[in-house]
Amino acid sequence: LASQPAWTGSALRDLNSPAGCPHVNGFKVDNWKQNLRVIYQCFVWSGSAETRKRKAKSCICHMCGAHLNRLHSCLYCVFFACFAKKHIHEHAKSKRHNLAIDLLYGGIYCFMCQDYIYDKEMEQIAKEEQRKAWKMLHGFYSTWEPTKRELELLRHNPKRRRITSNCTIGLRGLINLGNTCFMNCIVQALTHTPLLRDFFLSDRHKCEMQSNSCLVCEMSQLFQEFYSGHRSPHIPFRLLHLVWTHARHLAGYEQQDAHEFLIAALDVLHRHCKDDNGKKANNPNHCNCIIDQIFTGGLQSDVTCQACHGVSTTIDPFWDISLDLPGSSTPFWPLSPGGDGSALNGESHTTGATTLTDCLRRFTRPEHLGSSAKIKCSGCHSYQESTKQLTMKKLPIVACFHLKRFEHSAKLRRKITTYVSFPLELDMTPFMASSKESRMNGQYQQTVDPFNNDNKYSLFAVVNHQGTLESGHYTTFIRQHKDQWFKCDDAIITKASIKDVLDSEGYLLFYHKQFLEYE
Amino acid sequence: MLKRIMSKDSQMRAAINQKLIEMGERERLKELLRAKLVECGWKDQLKAHCKDVIREKGLEHVTVEDLVTEVTPKGRALVPDSVKKELLQRIRAFLAQHATL
Repeated sequence: LASQPAWTGSALRDLNSPAGCPHVNGFKVDNWKQNLRVIYQCFVWSGSAETRKRKAKSCICHMCGAHLNRLHSCLYCVFFACFAKKHIHEHAKSKRHNLAIDLLYGGIYCFMCQDYIYDKEMEQIAKEEQRKAWKMLHGFYSTWEPTKRELELLRHNPKRRRITSNCTIGLRGLINLGNTCFMNCIVQALTHTPLLRDFFLSDRHKCEMQSNSCLVCEMSQLFQEFYSGHRSPHIPFRLLHLVWTHARHLAGYEQQDAHEFLIAALDVLHRHCKDDNGKKANNPNHCNCIIDQIFTGGLQSDVTCQACHGVSTTIDPFWDISLDLPGSSTPFWPLSPGGDGSALNGESHTTGATTLTDCLRRFTRPEHLGSSAKIKCSGCHSYQESTKQLTMKKLPIVACFHLKRFEHSAKLRRKITTYVSFPLELDMTPFMASSKESRMNGQYQQTVDPFNNDNKYSLFAVVNHQGTLESGHYTTFIRQHKDQWFKCDDAIITKASIKDVLDSEGYLLFYHKQFLEYE
Repeated sequence: MLKRIMSKDSQMRAAINQKLIEMGERERLKELLRAKLVECGWKDQLKAHCKDVIREKGLEHVTVEDLVTEVTPKGRALVPDSVKKELLQRIRAFLAQHATL
């Protein structure tokens, strides 16, 4: 995120190494390195609270008191002065102190050369101090710089691909191998999941599997194919074979459920990813594989005893949220849509259409379990009636919502085609475990903190099913370059409008967190 | 000897700035601004402008001063209003929280 400060990299004059200047030799005496470090720590990049306090108090121009105007500090004595008003120049001239440091960016200015100079040793110190301060302040280190090996690779592979807003890299059709659109549609969603793409394109999977049947390796290959720049459709026969091998219930040439395929694929990838993490990867509570990092959320279930009001809480991991739709045979569907949650997410209520937020409200509402489903209360030591409520404890980076359109009850098998309106931007705050308190008091409107971005999501893929339960077809809308959408229909990729996406029926909705925290 | 020639307005500014630095908020605001300016394409626009200035003045002769003089006015003008608004809101919120100023 940090932009390059003015002093790093090669000087404008000498492109091979930092120029430096002969005038620094007067400075480089005695304990100059330590002195320079102290200046950086106290007045340029103040990491700790006490250095910040000192910086705040003392960093003003000794001539005019201003704290702006490109304040510089003399390197030879304790003197701060503005650059813009030439106060530091006056000091340099009168005292013959020819070096000053820019308190904003850390650049060293030489009044003899009349420009910023880049001395190798001083630059090294500056870089180290900046990293230290960043780590203290933000908890993560700053700019990436290539290693020797990476520089070598870059030099040996001079071909560069320029990503412009109208380039089609990442878009590739997939041949249907016989009712395999259920697989193709999910592959399109996964290959356009930003974090997953970044993981695979930066070669982060180190395989330790002996056989050739690692699904993660195959995914890696798939990403290479998708981002190769080839425009011809890809034939995913190896992927299909691996899926049949590892998820037997999906084998065969019949049409399968895309949602089932998604869960099976994530499961196999998660299992095969253990090699990237060594220990403990197979423990569902401790796995830190890329699949878990991206897709796993925590669902909190609170069961409240109606007698003693004791609450029993469990948290279960989830990869997706399956939402019941109106018109299904599950009871207790509220007939009146609307409410503050929908207003929060900007969904349209023009025709009284059900919204995604309505579904989420229903999913997270307290449900009375009824007298036929009493639970044993540990507080009362007896069976009592209770209410149960589901809320989000931990949000995944990618949230997948599964609209339960396929009904497979004992009586009937049918597809629910009710239109459900879903937004481009989604705020999950009202559905969090932490928001439960205000909801219980009847308040739905959360005072939205405009600076709390943790729960905000953006839509990036929509899987649709056209047709009936017996014969249907899956397609996917995916998002590219922030505001461009494309429809992926097996081998055919066409440009789509945002309206096309939002008007579609929606079966699987993929949302990506807008802001990522560093760990 | 320290000579202070400051109006009441700039006194207030200095006090606010001090508080922002002390609480580490100034650094956070800088990061927020940096991210916003990259997002809206401002950084790319300015980078292109810098390259133009360098080409004009010649790589061998251009100084940091030249760039600062040429690029600052354009840079200031190109900051989107929405970004300014957001930062202002953020500073106001911070001041509201630390009202002892």
